Amino acid sequence: MELINSLADVPETELFTGGHGGCRGCGAALAVRQAMKALGPRTIITIPASCMATIGGSGLSTAWEIPFYHSLFECAPAVASGIRAALDIQGIKDVNVVSWAGDAGTADIGFQSLTGAAERQENIIHVCYDNETYMNTGGQAGSITPYLAVTPDTPGGKPTPRKDMLAIMAAHHPAYLATASVAYPLDLIQKFQKAGEIQGFRYIHILAPCFKGWGIREDQTVQLARLAVECGLWQLYEEIDGRRRVTVIPERRIPVREYLRLQGRFKTMDEAAIAALQAEVDRRFQEVQS
Amino acid sequence: MRQLLNGNEAAAHAARLARVEVLASYPITPAAPVMEKITQFIAEGSLKCNFVRVESDHSALAAALGATMAGARSFLITNSQGLAYMSEVLYHVSGLRQPVVMAVVNRALAAPHSRFPEHGDVVAQEACGWVQLFCENNQEVLDSLLQAFRLGEDERVRLPVMVNYEGYIQSHTRETVDLPEQEAVANFLPLVRRPVLDVNNPLAVNTVTGPELYIDYKYQQDAALQRAGEVLQEVSTAYAGLTGRDWGGPVTGYRLEDAAIVLVAMGSLVSTARIAVDALRAVGEKAGLLKVRLFRPFPAAAVRESLRAAEAVVALDKNIVYGAGGALARELRAGLYGLATMPVYSYILGLGGRDVGVEDLTSIYRQVREQLGAGTTPAPYQWYGL
Ligand code: SF4
Repeated sequence: MELINSLADVPETELFTGGHGGCRGCGAALAVRQAMKALGPRTIITIPASCMATIGGSGLSTAWEIPFYHSLFECAPAVASGIRAALDIQGIKDVNVVSWAGDAGTADIGFQSLTGAAERQENIIHVCYDNETYMNTGGQAGSITPYLAVTPDTPGGKPTPRKDMLAIMAAHHPAYLATASVAYPLDLIQKFQKAGEIQGFRYIHILAPCFKGWGIREDQTVQLARLAVECGLWQLYEEIDGRRRVTVIPERRIPVREYLRLQGRFKTMDEAAIAALQAEVDRRFQEVQS
Repeated sequence: MRQLLNGNEAAAHAARLARVEVLASYPITPAAPVMEKITQFIAEGSLKCNFVRVESDHSALAAALGATMAGARSFLITNSQGLAYMSEVLYHVSGLRQPVVMAVVNRALAAPHSRFPEHGDVVAQEACGWVQLFCENNQEVLDSLLQAFRLGEDERVRLPVMVNYEGYIQSHTRETVDLPEQEAVANFLPLVRRPVLDVNNPLAVNTVTGPELYIDYKYQQDAALQRAGEVLQEVSTAYAGLTGRDWGGPVTGYRLEDAAIVLVAMGSLVSTARIAVDALRAVGEKAGLLKVRLFRPFPAAAVRESLRAAEAVVALDKNIVYGAGGALARELRAGLYGLATMPVYSYILGLGGRDVGVEDLTSIYRQVREQLGAGTTPAPYQWYGL
């Protein structure tokens, strides 16, 4: 497989087209648009209840150029499993089957069917586009909403830390696992290219900021997605056969404070909490170095 | 070929003969043996089918739906809690008009926890838009399942079908079942692919739909369900041409010609009621029986036609809609509305596996005859055998 090595080589064809119903500056829409460049037209996608499920189609119009099914909240990976079983029995081998969920459809209400599909090593790609909150219903906290993030139902900041979804998924021994960020499109596209080539269960977790939920301006989506990587809170890596490879080492490192203070959702976070988070990031960074 | 099969084995053979391509089920008592039998067929090579070993009933139906949308013939089995857990997916399958076929091995819903039969599980799903068929014996389980694929896949219908039979009474009891030849079934049930999710013809399925369209979709869905009642008659006739066995359409009458009091039942009670009617006839009673095979769409017109000459009707309900009575009684009353002289007596019985025998039904008949003679207005419903 030849990896796309520069943005100039990215195919121009749009499979998630303009005219979708997302907000301006929606990180989730960016993520889909980038991923579809690698997945290509022979892809069937199922998306459970979420912003992404609704912005790609409304009434009789759709932004999708591939078969798209807006599934129920709990079961996108199960639907994808059934689609794969049906394609296999018909001898159709060259189609990517993708379940694409937000953080709730992945880590919370959708977790049961995800862990089932992962354990069965279904030949599908599950993607979590993570805006760290339930934006489709106005931004309530979920299990991978960060510690101390303010949401409408955690007005004082979320009292518990984010659960480590990547460790949980890694524990299922997927054929491929990767993190991605909409601020690093080439890295994201290459990961989807690789995932498309590999057989078995593949999991890609994308940090996809939502300006509304994060309390930032709509033109800051990409900037924040990059700062998350630069401050070390979001690492870009992939795992094949359980071996981890960091794919992007940011050119500069910034304090987490710089990332957090740009966002309205961390306004109640005091300096002590920020220092504690910084210490944790530093410790993790040390681990990677040694 | 005749074999001694229990209801679960009959269902598994039906799936094999229908050449189902995707099986997605989660084990539940007493339906699980169907899944084991089909996976055995797959292992020994008598059925080419992909088994999706899901982690829940909710995912089972989701996977079957995905498979059907991608063009495969899909099948699954559940009952009771599993069926309740599938509830929201049931609505997706019917709303998307996907001809999934499911065997439902009826069992009571908790609480209190029960592993035993009644129709409460499926009655709880009466509004979900699936065709719902009930079977009287294991031969009918096999035959109705084969008919279910043809019915659901019919262009005029395009809807999912549940085929109901009772836990233990049918699922674990052996009867002689005649298995049609594979080739004959293949002619009756050709495999026609109509994928909705197809990379060569991309569609967006289940987009957000506003008030300007939603009700129109629902109208079409309901019209299709109504048509299923008519198509069932055709399918039954075609199947009779194949096997000589005609289970009739939505309802079948037994000794109705001059019947004054007619028992109405679904499922295994029908066989018991038939014997009860014979026993009552033997002592000069004008008893009759109406077997309701199709619960959804409810065949009100056929029921009305069959019962036109009767003096009274006795609904035997193996279910309770709390605070409202038996589902069958309610349907009958609605269907017979306007036939002013026709009282409907409603009995709730056999819940959670409580035994109902021939004597129980003859005694109910006698109770009704007395009440009828005394001219008392029937109670909304009464419990029998407490
Ligand atoms: S609310 Fe957030 S995630 Fe949803 S469409 Fe708008 S920007 Fe995207």
